Amino acid sequence: MAKPKNLILSSTVFERVVHWVLAGSCLFLFLTGFGLMFHSLSFIANFFPGGFYVMKLLHNIDGIIFGLAFLFALVAWGKDTLYFDEEDKKWFRVMGGYLWEVEKVPEAGKFNAGQKLFFMTLFLFWFIMMGTGIFMWFPIFPPELTRWLYALHALGTVVLGGFLVIHFYLGTYGNPGTFQVMGHGFVTKGWAKKHRAKWLRDVEAGRRSV
Amino acid sequence: MEEKVMLIDVSKCTACRGCQVACKQWNRLPAEKTQQRGTHQNPPDLTPTTWNLIRYTELPTKNGEMRWLFRKDNCMHCTDPACQRACPVPGCIFKTAEGAIVIDQEKCIGCEYCVNVCPFKIPQFDPATKKVYKCTLCWDRISQGQIPACAKTCAPGAVTFGAKDKMIAQAYARAKTLGGDATVYGDKFVQGTHVVYVLPEKVRMYEKMVVNPSIPVSVYLWKDFLKPLSVLAIGAALVGTFFHYIIKGPKRPEEGGE
Repeated sequence: MAKPKNLILSSTVFERVVHWVLAGSCLFLFLTGFGLMFHSLSFIANFFPGGFYVMKLLHNIDGIIFGLAFLFALVAWGKDTLYFDEEDKKWFRVMGGYLWEVEKVPEAGKFNAGQKLFFMTLFLFWFIMMGTGIFMWFPIFPPELTRWLYALHALGTVVLGGFLVIHFYLGTYGNPGTFQVMGHGFVTKGWAKKHRAKWLRDVEAGRRSV
Repeated sequence: MEEKVMLIDVSKCTACRGCQVACKQWNRLPAEKTQQRGTHQNPPDLTPTTWNLIRYTELPTKNGEMRWLFRKDNCMHCTDPACQRACPVPGCIFKTAEGAIVIDQEKCIGCEYCVNVCPFKIPQFDPATKKVYKCTLCWDRISQGQIPACAKTCAPGAVTFGAKDKMIAQAYARAKTLGGDATVYGDKFVQGTHVVYVLPEKVRMYEKMVVNPSIPVSVYLWKDFLKPLSVLAIGAALVGTFFHYIIKGPKRPEEGGE
């Protein structure tokens, strides 16, 4: 896509594809996982020819897809997210201006401190969900250990379930103008100034491309 | 139909293994390749096609002699079964009016959750069929007023079957008669099992007998805490973001940005 006038590229094709693969596989994991965890949602299994068996198999295979896609996510966003600096501490002190009125929100780079924390948590639970899931699929450990993996996998559902909703909110209604970051990838300069002023300066000075 | 209990009085067991054979016969379970381990216990453990096994324990006594302890091992048919709690498929593991816990292999998806949560390590996964199998308390017989095949065939009367209260009373009477370390095993665990033992020796003397069986803590954590909590977390996030939107409002970029 040619660069539209007055817009600025905020995410590359690579980033957008990785995000869509993560988003799609994650939602499918939630759908099938909830179908397995709640008997009241067992109707979800009816969508699959072969019922529960196929649903669980696809859940497992999709887990691998999500797991691999996350490796690309680390390549795409790891260097911009897996650290905190002084500015981030200030950002947390005012909660990024999300919860109460704040005179000035500390300027963020490509990702603000909240987004960094989100990605770090996702990284941790990616490890937990892959680590538990693979040995739920292939239970090679003694039962005394394997049943703790079930509990840990459910803990992941608790944390990631809450995160999913908040992530969705902040990427759409909560921050107008943001959703197109995962659409065509372009944002207005006003948006960039508001959300990632430091990054905007870097891009305009040619210190980074995206 | 009233609740029933299978009473296994191991003091009367002669380890003839008639029950093992009768179980295979009634449930049409094939014989299997086994291995010599220097014991009469055969096969070495429960398998997908051996739902009932006589375990042999050699117990040296103080005066240098050897005693044999025999124990018939099969599903305990818990009143509060961990397997059913863990099973993801509705109706796959079900409970009959008599108290039998049965796996419906038509519905089983071979996830092995039941295998890993059972406090007695009873359910057996068959990699060939990708299904889990275990004793059904002959639910197809007892629902027709018959007694389980193993009880039917037991010559010395070590395995009996009948009304729950009657069998438990019998068990305690028998333990009292035996005296010494004799105990009743089963009625106090997992809200009462539908298989109850009379054990002349201490529980820990018998092979693979769990001293204080209960639903594992991890299973409660998983199914009774984290599972409902996941709904709560998603619900709280939905409510929270809704109120954030209507009270604090979205974060709008400055209008007219170039």
